Amino acid sequence: MKAVVKNNVGLFTPQGFLDANNNSAFLSIDDIEATLKLKVDMILVSMKKVIFFNRNGLDVFIKLFTRVRKTSSTIVGFCDYNKKQYNSIKQFYKNEINFSLFKNIEIAYLFSSNFADKEKKILIYSDDKHQRSAMAIELHNNGHYPVMTQTLEEFDDKRLNIDAYDFIIDNTYLGEMGNMIASKVSGNAIIYTVISYLDADINDTFHIQYHNNSLNIGFRLFIFDAYKVISMNVHALNFFTKLAGAAAEYNANIAFVGLSFDKTPEVFKENLEDAGILFYDQMDDILENKKLLKELGASSAANIKNKRSINKATVTELPRFIDATVATIEMMTNSKAIKEAAQVHNIVIEEKEGKIASSIGYYGDLDGMVILVFPTQIAKKACELLIGEETDDMELILDTLAELVNIVGGKIKTLLSNDDINVNITLPRTYQEIDSLLEVVQDKKGVQVDLSFSDNKFLFFLTR
Amino acid sequence: MVKKEDIDEFIKKIPPAPEVLKKTIALLNVGDLQKAAIVAEEDLALKSYLKDIVNKPIYGFKNEVNEISQIFGILGVSQSQQTVYNYMINLLSPSKWLLFKLNKKSFHDLQANLSIKWSIILQHLNIDDKNITASISLLPSAIIVAEALFNKYIDDVNLLRTTKALDYNTILYRISNFTLFDICEKIATKWEMDKLISEIIQASSGLNPSDDEELNKLAKWMHLLLFYELSQQMFVDAGLNDFIDFQIEFVGDIYEEFATIMDIS
Repeated sequence: MKAVVKNNVGLFTPQGFLDANNNSAFLSIDDIEATLKLKVDMILVSMKKVIFFNRNGLDVFIKLFTRVRKTSSTIVGFCDYNKKQYNSIKQFYKNEINFSLFKNIEIAYLFSSNFADKEKKILIYSDDKHQRSAMAIELHNNGHYPVMTQTLEEFDDKRLNIDAYDFIIDNTYLGEMGNMIASKVSGNAIIYTVISYLDADINDTFHIQYHNNSLNIGFRLFIFDAYKVISMNVHALNFFTKLAGAAAEYNANIAFVGLSFDKTPEVFKENLEDAGILFYDQMDDILENKKLLKELGASSAANIKNKRSINKATVTELPRFIDATVATIEMMTNSKAIKEAAQVHNIVIEEKEGKIASSIGYYGDLDGMVILVFPTQIAKKACELLIGEETDDMELILDTLAELVNIVGGKIKTLLSNDDINVNITLPRTYQEIDSLLEVVQDKKGVQVDLSFSDNKFLFFLTR
Repeated sequence: MVKKEDIDEFIKKIPPAPEVLKKTIALLNVGDLQKAAIVAEEDLALKSYLKDIVNKPIYGFKNEVNEISQIFGILGVSQSQQTVYNYMINLLSPSKWLLFKLNKKSFHDLQANLSIKWSIILQHLNIDDKNITASISLLPSAIIVAEALFNKYIDDVNLLRTTKALDYNTILYRISNFTLFDICEKIATKWEMDKLISEIIQASSGLNPSDDEELNKLAKWMHLLLFYELSQQMFVDAGLNDFIDFQIEFVGDIYEEFATIMDIS
């Protein structure tokens, strides 16, 4: 069985009956390893479509979960169960639960450190006070506003006020959690949340590949939310100094917000400043200051020191990139896509109104970025198969467009691997405004291909 | 991805029911088992199929049954008709399965398991109707249709399903406004199966309820039975567990009764 990966969560959805007769059939170590390769934060088994299970039916999942936890920090567990199923699972494993239980997948996403949707108000209840605290801490670290209730009465009372909370969490249990540094995207900035003591462990907990990919696809401002940092040692200092050096090559900025030097030598601050790292007291000092934001982030994309151009290796593989895009759009629309023109130049978008875009980066034996620009109506049509109904909900359309571009990325990966060229793909990024896209790519030279299907035009742009 | 032409071509290629089978079913319909057996003997492939399927352990016969007259005699009118319909559906199955990891034997096993368990259910519900008994035979044709339509697009489907958990029925419907069950209905019509059979199959998808409450009740049992079977290791391994979407709410009210009959604990 293959996992569906969304918001960095790999989800397996068995259907029907889970018992001793079939427990090894639904999930294999190969399935798990293939999902882990996608750098997911969580691997979960959904119980939404399971009508019957017994302990024998779950044991194989639990063994695989244990195996995952031995070698990675990926969170593992079950989700989408009802109260009866939740109680049964807890009863089966009593004091041996080292996996997590999330009432539904939306609640699981909240605990994923890389989930983009942040700042949610969340009501929490668990009859285990340690669990209540653990959930509140995790959610707070992930940028949400948890509200803990101490008793069931208090919870029942507060939950009546439905409008006061974005999410209500009960019947949820946190097993061993991940220890990676949380990241979120705010406009054109990426915010990392660091806590406690910063030491050599930061080399393991900071997702350097994610950071490098973010640089490659055009992010230029990285903020470390350090309100909860107590101190740092020389190993962490060296790490941040190197990070700043690498960022400078892209003309990117790194800033610390809220870092106190009560227990950290002041000389560290000087060293970090010398490396180009900026310090601010409050997050709003940056995020609410549009002029400063522009100086630090958005406008800097045009001043990349390490301006990279399209190279021969990329051009050689161009037909595969186009094939992957055309095949995906044809698959999603059942219309024939036609290549109209291909030219090497900076991206040219004649009419910016009424268009949306999405990009995905790839790295490995080759690296670069694919950008697709669609008229909004056409993007909606291309996403119909995934959405299943007509919608004007722009958030849903952009979300689905990201999924579509993810499919294009997957197809590119497959086509290149046929030629022994191995690449990984980044998370897709979407742009509701074409100007936001241009801020990232307007100075990059690439191959622009105008494509059309059913007389509707869209644009493919491949750059580095 | 699957195109309307693929669907049209599949429907066009459904062969007419062979004369021998039509005659056999007509004779079974009027309860003449002896004459039906004589006619059925003319079709050697049918004879071989019947022998193969009724001698499977799930049928529980102590001694090997070889003669069609013997088979029809033991099975009775309803189950004989059901088994002949199973054979007809089997005629549509591919010589080589690509999308699902099935083969002739495992497909026959699926047919046999569904048929026997459906008979147990109907016995429990006190239903003795040969068309209702036979209706289960049409259900595996949905798997054959999915195999036929999607086997050229395995990579596309796999890619799509890494992003969203879409079953074959949903993909087909969103692309063509046809469901797998609509195509099964076309098979039933072409083979002049009783209309009741198509109606039960349509409702058994769990997505297209009938106006007739009794039919809906049967459809729930059929839907749950299908997923009970598709949860067996052999069929999970074959990739059938998520070939259509299990409608868990649809069957919620009969689950306890089902679990008792099937001895699930």
